[in-house]
Amino acid sequence: MTFWRQAVEIARVDLVVERRAGETFRIVLPFSIVALMVFPLALDLQLGIVSTVGIGVFWALGILFGMQVALRQSASDTPERRDLHVLSGVDPAARFTGRALSGGVLMTAYLGLMLVAMAVLFDPELPGGGWPVLLVSTVLVAVGLTELGTLAGEVTTGLRSRTPLASLIVAPLALPLVIGASQSVEAVERDTSILPWILLLIASDLALAVAGVALAKPLEEATQ
Amino acid sequence: MTRVRVLMSLAALAVAVGLWFALTAPPDALQGEYARLLGIHPPAMWLAFLAFGVTALGSIMWLVGKRDRWDRLASASAEIGVIFTAIGLFTGMVWGQAVWGTPWDWQDPRLMSTAVMFFVYLAYMALRNAIDDPTVRARRSAILGAIAVVQVPLVYFSVNLFRTLHQTQSIRPDGSTMPDEMLTAMLVNLVAFTILYIALLAARLDVARVEAEAHPHTALAGDAVHPPRLNEVEDV
Repeated sequence: MTFWRQAVEIARVDLVVERRAGETFRIVLPFSIVALMVFPLALDLQLGIVSTVGIGVFWALGILFGMQVALRQSASDTPERRDLHVLSGVDPAARFTGRALSGGVLMTAYLGLMLVAMAVLFDPELPGGGWPVLLVSTVLVAVGLTELGTLAGEVTTGLRSRTPLASLIVAPLALPLVIGASQSVEAVERDTSILPWILLLIASDLALAVAGVALAKPLEEATQ
Repeated sequence: MTRVRVLMSLAALAVAVGLWFALTAPPDALQGEYARLLGIHPPAMWLAFLAFGVTALGSIMWLVGKRDRWDRLASASAEIGVIFTAIGLFTGMVWGQAVWGTPWDWQDPRLMSTAVMFFVYLAYMALRNAIDDPTVRARRSAILGAIAVVQVPLVYFSVNLFRTLHQTQSIRPDGSTMPDEMLTAMLVNLVAFTILYIALLAARLDVARVEAEAHPHTALAGDAVHPPRLNEVEDV
């Protein structure tokens, strides 16, 4: 089986498991939307402020709850499943790539739905051309966040404090993604070039992909 | 132990000399006495960069050779780095309040990236604390230690990439932007802090070695208890 065939097969199985578990869309997404709804109430329903800070709230909640998507239980292998991968000769890099692919699909869909919910609830102020940039940034953030989550999830596999520990690892390292995403939309508002911020997002995604593939073998050994 | 005592004595002497240089340098025309923080703030951050670089080196060497001493080096160096990053952040905030009028500027990339680096290495230490098995701990923390070091060049070059409140480097290839007395005080303190780092690292490595020998792997209460498995029930 080729590298890409292995990666696609891992991704397919992950998505099937997630469809059955429903962790992302039946638990994390509703919880995130409730959090979006709590925010205007915390601001005493001052809708002008809510509209102004809407995009920022989307990024903050999207990143924080997105970690739950990246670290979902359905993406953590049991020891038996890990052993099966090793004995079947699955390439560790293909396993990382497959996991990142399935996570990327879920994360993009999750952030996309959060974006729709935010647009409906907050009616954010966006200049002309802001929405396409926001969409592109959302996809790039989804990819980076998934890669980070996959790495942190592997490093903390099987630990009692897996979820808070992995979140502590992901949150500070996700800051370049938050900065790139928020500044690209700001750049549209200021009528300056968005290119440096989009390049920052692409560079972060590529760096994480390279780190994940390069460290896939020691990561696999670390979880055994 | 004698080696550590000698190193600690050397470090105490070097830090005392460094403080003397920092306290006897003339005050700055604009910043006044606050400029003396030059003797603590840049050396503390330099030491943090050095410590995290050594952590990355130890991590990579562990991944290559799987020798325990590399893991101990990485861990000990990260602990020292975190403490000195905290000192660097605190002294930077005190200096910022005096010079900029605010201890924290959200738009300053140097402050933000340093805080991020601090939390990344706190996560590194939390990861180590969460794992009981020494080999698993070494392997997983080596991976994080090798990745986390990308923060160091990001923090260092952040002032060149984004110009806001924090000044750029004072020592450049074409010379220094500081008066000679201040430059001397800072360089002496850089050397003193480096000796202090070596002494602290040697002491921490000794403690880590003793800990590893005394408690190779301490099982926690409840570790031996496992939930019943289906095949075990069927066997009965």
